[in-house]
Amino acid sequence: MKVSVNWVKQFTDIELPIDKLVEKIGAQLGAVEEVIDIGKRYQGIIVARVITSDRHPNSDKLTVCKIDDGGVVKKVSRDTQGYAQVVCGAPNVEIGMLTAWIPPGVTVPSTFDKEPLVIEAKEIRGVVSHGMLASPKELGFGGDHSGLLAIDEDIIPGTSFTKAYKLDDHIIDIENKMFTHRPDLFGMLGIAREISGIQNTAFHSPSWYLNPKLIDAQSTTAQLNLQVKNDLPRLVPRFCALSIANVSVGPSPVWLQSYLMRVGIRPVNNVVDLTNFVMYETGQPLHAYDYDKLAGGSLVIRYPKEGEGLTVLGGKNLSLHKGTIIIADAVKAVGLGGVMGGAGTEVDDDTKNIVLECANFDMNAVRNAAMEYGLFTDAATRFTKNQSPLQNPAVITKAAEDILRLAGGNLASPLIDDKSKLPQLQRINTSSDFVNLRLGLKLSSAQMAALLNNVEVETKPSGSKFSSNVPFWRTDLAIPEDIVEEIGRLYGYDHLPQELPPRDLTPAKLDPSISFKSRVRRTLSSAGANEVLTYSFVHESLLKKVGQDPKNAYHIRNALSPDLQYYRLSIIPSLLEKVQPNIRAGFGEFALFEIGKEHFKGATDRDGLPKELDRIAVVVASKDAKPGAPYFAARKICDYLLDELGIGGVFYEPIDRQKTSKTATYYDSDRTALITVNGQKIGRVGEFKQSVSSALKLPRYCAGFALHSNKLVNLSSPPSYQSINRFPSLDQDLCLRSTTKLTYAALLEFLKKQLDKASAKHGYGFDIFPLDIFQRPKDKSYKQTTWRIRLWHPGRTLTTAEVNELIDQLSKEAKNRLKAARV
Amino acid sequence: MAYKNGEVQRAAKQLKTRFAKLDDKSSIRRAPELTALYKRLKIIPPDQRASFGKDVNQLKAEVEGWVGAAREPRVELNPIDVTAPFDINSPPPALLPAKSGSRHPISIELQTVLNIYSRMGFTAVESPELDDDYHMFKSLNFPEGHPARDDYDSFVTDEGYLAPAHTSTMQNRVLRAGKKELEAGKAIRVVIPGRVFRNEDVDATHEHTFYQLEGVYVDRGINAGHLIATLKTFLEEFYEQALEVKTQPFYFPFTEPSFEFAMSCPFCRKKGCAVCKFTGWMEILGCGMIHPNVLAEAKIDPARYTGFAWGGGIDRLVMMKYGIEDIRHFHSGSLKFLRQFR
Repeated sequence: MKVSVNWVKQFTDIELPIDKLVEKIGAQLGAVEEVIDIGKRYQGIIVARVITSDRHPNSDKLTVCKIDDGGVVKKVSRDTQGYAQVVCGAPNVEIGMLTAWIPPGVTVPSTFDKEPLVIEAKEIRGVVSHGMLASPKELGFGGDHSGLLAIDEDIIPGTSFTKAYKLDDHIIDIENKMFTHRPDLFGMLGIAREISGIQNTAFHSPSWYLNPKLIDAQSTTAQLNLQVKNDLPRLVPRFCALSIANVSVGPSPVWLQSYLMRVGIRPVNNVVDLTNFVMYETGQPLHAYDYDKLAGGSLVIRYPKEGEGLTVLGGKNLSLHKGTIIIADAVKAVGLGGVMGGAGTEVDDDTKNIVLECANFDMNAVRNAAMEYGLFTDAATRFTKNQSPLQNPAVITKAAEDILRLAGGNLASPLIDDKSKLPQLQRINTSSDFVNLRLGLKLSSAQMAALLNNVEVETKPSGSKFSSNVPFWRTDLAIPEDIVEEIGRLYGYDHLPQELPPRDLTPAKLDPSISFKSRVRRTLSSAGANEVLTYSFVHESLLKKVGQDPKNAYHIRNALSPDLQYYRLSIIPSLLEKVQPNIRAGFGEFALFEIGKEHFKGATDRDGLPKELDRIAVVVASKDAKPGAPYFAARKICDYLLDELGIGGVFYEPIDRQKTSKTATYYDSDRTALITVNGQKIGRVGEFKQSVSSALKLPRYCAGFALHSNKLVNLSSPPSYQSINRFPSLDQDLCLRSTTKLTYAALLEFLKKQLDKASAKHGYGFDIFPLDIFQRPKDKSYKQTTWRIRLWHPGRTLTTAEVNELIDQLSKEAKNRLKAARV
Repeated sequence: MAYKNGEVQRAAKQLKTRFAKLDDKSSIRRAPELTALYKRLKIIPPDQRASFGKDVNQLKAEVEGWVGAAREPRVELNPIDVTAPFDINSPPPALLPAKSGSRHPISIELQTVLNIYSRMGFTAVESPELDDDYHMFKSLNFPEGHPARDDYDSFVTDEGYLAPAHTSTMQNRVLRAGKKELEAGKAIRVVIPGRVFRNEDVDATHEHTFYQLEGVYVDRGINAGHLIATLKTFLEEFYEQALEVKTQPFYFPFTEPSFEFAMSCPFCRKKGCAVCKFTGWMEILGCGMIHPNVLAEAKIDPARYTGFAWGGGIDRLVMMKYGIEDIRHFHSGSLKFLRQFR
């Protein structure tokens, strides 16, 4: 919302310097986006009278003028009578006219914010021009460049243009978002009221707003028959209209144009400009129609008919949708209710008779229309803030009087006021205790009442209680908390005592899942892996590349980018997408991990919402081949992670090819294991299918794993302690040759079982771990696994003999039961 | 392969030479030799068309074969024993050096933030990435069709679920969860980190995916001064220096009064620098007293309990702290970026 300080000053005094005012507005009204000193733009521009105007000796179109500036401009050459000479190209220049002169050394206002053009005295076709006479466009008053700005008031030549039109002004642009609930702050009147309030002075609305003398239906002789028919009283609770005959449509006076220019409105003509002017005063949008273009002299508020269209101001053609509020005449649509008028009934220079509309539209309906048709107009901005339907008669009366004064004509119909049930004015009862408790203040109810009365929220205290009458323009005030906000703001939030809330010493509980993930992050980064964050959304092509069915993924229906079409089914593919770019960037070997959420369509949680699976995903890659299959590199990190997390009983099992996963579709089933802990599935680790590899340009050496974070949280345990053995342990290596088909896990399980037996019998403690798995290139059906077995006894030193006997026994069992011979 | 038709035979030879030189092997499908043959097929006399067409099709299949072979060198891999910790005839794989590891800067800072709030007595709970209208809007006092919803450009799924545009989606949940303890005399003190989404185009300062931290505090007698003091205390701990703070009135449907919260620039100590755009101040979050309708929606009596809530971006905190110039680095997955954060 652009606020002109001088416009506001028409309603209230402002004593503060501009920087203090801006600071106060920021602290007590809303964030200020920008402050523009428009006085600077007009510095040095002078009102001058054209004294003579002669044809330029070397041009048909140019004239040479002598102008009178009262001699105020220094350092300009003048003739003997003291007049300055200016060459002018405007067709409307005439002797005696007052206009704006840009003397040498002064900047053209319309160029001020772009590339400033400073006018110099220069020769134009052999005649020196000392500065220039300005068009409205050059002065920044809209787009008219057809002639000079003709000053329409009796101003003494030599007066500064700034002074003549109060252009020593600042425009304060306040964020609209702050005013989402404040329709009254979209007009200078409302802003003035608040500025008065935050300066701690009482504001008095003008009487035309509070107690309007409505245009009296009896006093007019109806010359233009006007009828209003409202088919949509629920969406249009109030519709005021009147007609005015015999107006003279033409350019607005310069002062009016100057006000519209400040807030960024382009002047059109006096009638249209006044509707905008009154809207910027009150926040209430208005619209003027050319009466003679309205069929049947009637306005009908209705829904569009099948196939009906409307060309709006500016020329955009709309085909109207069902449910849009339109204003129509007896035949056709003439306006998009609350958003924009139609081009066909526009008020232009030929207009003689007009209809003025001042209505109230439902905020949600206007919002929908603005979005559907992409028309975000000043009117729509205001109606979507919930304008009060109780101000329309006052506003239309003010606008009509302004039009009669500036454009002439006479009232030609009674004021039609079509209204349905209007809201009752509210009264809010509360107390100083209620307010103080929420703000941390110790104000009395009298002090609170004073703050509220300053902004015309009429409040009477009685003891600690008080009751406030909500004024008709404040559609946002309804509950005591609204009053708390008013008092806090008007008093100043910066004056609130800043004390921490009183708190007991109960320690805050840690969320197990958050602390767990943090631990995983540290562990994986200590394993040399890099945490990445990738988007939760993926392109359909990624799902397809890894073999996932998009039907299983939540589809986003309004994504701006095709890269964000689906919620991802798993994290691994997102990580795989980051492998190739990093290899290309020169990273030869790395591991990426992400802790994130996965969504599978159809799976729901206890509350019926889509189930979210917390997942830890890791991918390892090396540009160059390394010894061994990449599967083992991924598994190594997985082992390390689970070990660090204190999770034991981990098994890696070949996956059952019959049970295909709908999400983990990218693993090569020959080279993938299911990870289980005590029989519970916690994830998978594996290499990727060649189709996935080639689609994502992965190096050959690439594998990954993913784990269910939620399941791991509960499995994780702190380190456990075993009492330290006082007696030395003995190591003995054992190499067994077995068929390749006998899995490592089966062999290990067998050996452990045997050792357990011996341990139970003799009280040994033991440990077993692999040293080497060897295979002769020519004999692939057999392998040799070397184990190191560590044995000790808690009560004595073991002898080599008994260890050897145990190992011999072990070998014998292995040979008999597994056909695994000792080498 | 030999072709009966000389023209096709010549093209096959040329294609083979061309294919050997190509970087993008699949572009051979668009080679001029093939295009010429297709064109020729249209104008060739009908009596020759059948045999010519057969040759062309055969050549096409051959070329496809080359592309396929080049793309997927079907490596015959040695079978592996997935139950083993390392491969046959190979040493056990080693972990990458710990110094090449890294945590994401957003994770690192978020952890710091959560630790401070934990010390201040707040528990933490994560927000979901897929939620419904009730938690995104309705429970937060946004009426159906309210224009305030327009400020959140939410992603919507076919089913009508929303990608949360703020972590406030958790407010109703934490209030409901804490109601019982609240009535037993224990305050609700929760912070909620989460990944949030806005449907907008990405550039150096805008992301559709970012991170927020929400906070909720409800007890008897909680006031707006407590809110300002709590946030100030946190910020001073985070930036390890004394700061000035100020509030600007704002509008959120779920808080009243609502504020935009600003702190004096911790990088230049209010002298003016590039980070604060030479204003000495930085707006960092939105906050306010929880709207009575929001409390009532969670079955907490707004006449007995009051509270405050706030929400702010984590990304900007991290960008400011490290001087990261482009928000797109966060999701780039680039090791050049990531490995700078140990």
